[in-house]
Amino acid sequence: MAFFSAGEELRMSAANPAAKTASLTGLMFCAPWIAGVILLFAWPFAASLYWSCCKFDIINPPEFVGLENYSRIADEVASGRGAGRAILNTLYYSLLSVPLSVVLGVSLAVLLSAKVKGQSLFRTLVFLPSIIPIVASSILWVWMLDTDTGLVNTLLGWIGVPPQNWLNQARSAISLEGAAQIGAWFSDGRLLLFGSKDALVLMTLWGVGNFVVIYLAAIGDIPNTLYEAAEIDGAGWLRRLFHVTVPMLSPVIFFNLVMGLIRSVQNFTNIYILSEGTGQPGNSLTTISLKLFLSAFADFEMGYASALAWMLFVGLVAATLLLARLSKNWVHYRGT
Amino acid sequence: MSFRSKFAIYGLLILVGLIFALPMIMMVSGSLQTPEQLSRNPNSFPESAQWANYPQAITSMPFGLYLTNTLILCVGCVIGSTLSCSVVAYGLCRVQWRGRQWVMLTVIATMLLPWQIMMVPRFILISEIGLYNSLWAIIGPTFLGDAFFIFLLRQFFISIPEELLEAGRIDGLGDWGLFWRIVVPLSTPALATVALFQFVQTWNDFGGALLYLSDPQKFPLAYGLERFVSSYGDQTHLLLAAAVMFSIPMIVVFFLAQKTFVEGISTSGIKG
Repeated sequence: MAFFSAGEELRMSAANPAAKTASLTGLMFCAPWIAGVILLFAWPFAASLYWSCCKFDIINPPEFVGLENYSRIADEVASGRGAGRAILNTLYYSLLSVPLSVVLGVSLAVLLSAKVKGQSLFRTLVFLPSIIPIVASSILWVWMLDTDTGLVNTLLGWIGVPPQNWLNQARSAISLEGAAQIGAWFSDGRLLLFGSKDALVLMTLWGVGNFVVIYLAAIGDIPNTLYEAAEIDGAGWLRRLFHVTVPMLSPVIFFNLVMGLIRSVQNFTNIYILSEGTGQPGNSLTTISLKLFLSAFADFEMGYASALAWMLFVGLVAATLLLARLSKNWVHYRGT
Repeated sequence: MSFRSKFAIYGLLILVGLIFALPMIMMVSGSLQTPEQLSRNPNSFPESAQWANYPQAITSMPFGLYLTNTLILCVGCVIGSTLSCSVVAYGLCRVQWRGRQWVMLTVIATMLLPWQIMMVPRFILISEIGLYNSLWAIIGPTFLGDAFFIFLLRQFFISIPEELLEAGRIDGLGDWGLFWRIVVPLSTPALATVALFQFVQTWNDFGGALLYLSDPQKFPLAYGLERFVSSYGDQTHLLLAAAVMFSIPMIVVFFLAQKTFVEGISTSGIKG
């Protein structure tokens, strides 16, 4: 194990009489966690794997049905309904919010690392939204995204964009319908582009401050000599940004990409509140997390919900491994 | 830095600052408006500040009850986490025993499991042991440790010089004594970080109440507020006032412990 040095391992395995008491002491200290792992992780892990192959409504004992739940998911994926719709919704939200969070997060961190007076004030302003409780910020955004009087539509109106049905519209901006809407805008000035998932993305981006803090710490660690050398070589600020800052940040960007992906896929609370726990309008906010919750606690299909959870887990692991594989091409670790 | 680039940077900073601050300003502004103004012209400053919205929000929902529940949860979870995680972290780095690397491995592994996998079995477990609809359903698990906090404390405990513990041993302290008399007093900054993060997490927690609580007498603020939204959707002025009151403690905590927050997030990046 990399956590311990070789010397420590030797001392631990040495056959001295103290080793036995040490084992007992260690076990005693770790007992809460060991109990926690068994009760809250190992057993649930095994149980949900078994139940994912069962018909289980909580009231009656689970009844083994083999891979029925999984084949149901496969059917729904093929038809684009139910779980299929949930996967598409999750993909849309993650593929839009995660890259945008990275780009926005890095840009803001670069801007906020400029050594000017009032720097800490601006840093605080960018960070504060991520400290607002998610329930409070959801209430706030539902109000600001109101079609008729909301702040967002008012601001868009200033730059000539017609009111958007943010929370009452199932369609989303990056889609064929969205492209058609852009066409309609040019021909007759009508535009219904943004929908509920775009609203969710907007809300997520407002809370990007957490990531900015991480990027800021990483920017602070970049040795000044690199910038000086680049400047002597005649690199302007843009080249210094893309040839020094971004490569030096790449390990942190990779870390935040993975964390952002995990967070966006597991995101639940604001989706639940924005859609009043229903996934409405038109199931456009039914992400996998919400679908899973509703299957378990509204439809009492524990088996199906467990199967969905396992699909989500396998999907997340696969996506993380893919990102790790791709990262070799663009992540630069110092000293290598 | 040239005057022009400084000018451009300030321009951008002010724009960015405004964009991020605007929703928060709006929340306060909206909370001070009359329902009449909110329906007609909400995106301007309050025509006359309705401070009465705040007491009215408190009385129109069981705000005090929800707050009490939230505080009970916060105190319980903070005690649970700091106690269990520090004990476990000590066992993981200050007691040399075989098998601890396996325990450490489970700490890392559980961080990778999505909560969705555990949701149904944990719900059934909590119901089976009779904790459904009890605040203990949320407090109890914190007494069994949290992977992230254990990891954080372990990193800190490792940095305590072995000589200090050796001196304690010579004075006749056992591991329990070393833990309480030497490691815990030296680790107050790390323990404060854990307490802070757990407090913020519990204050914000919505899912726990949604899953485990059904009795309105036991709702914490996060959940009670959401229920208020779904039952009184048109009381925007009261909702915003409640949302402001619900957010203020987090903002105060942030300003009091800014350094701990920023360092905690930037070293770990996992929670916050």
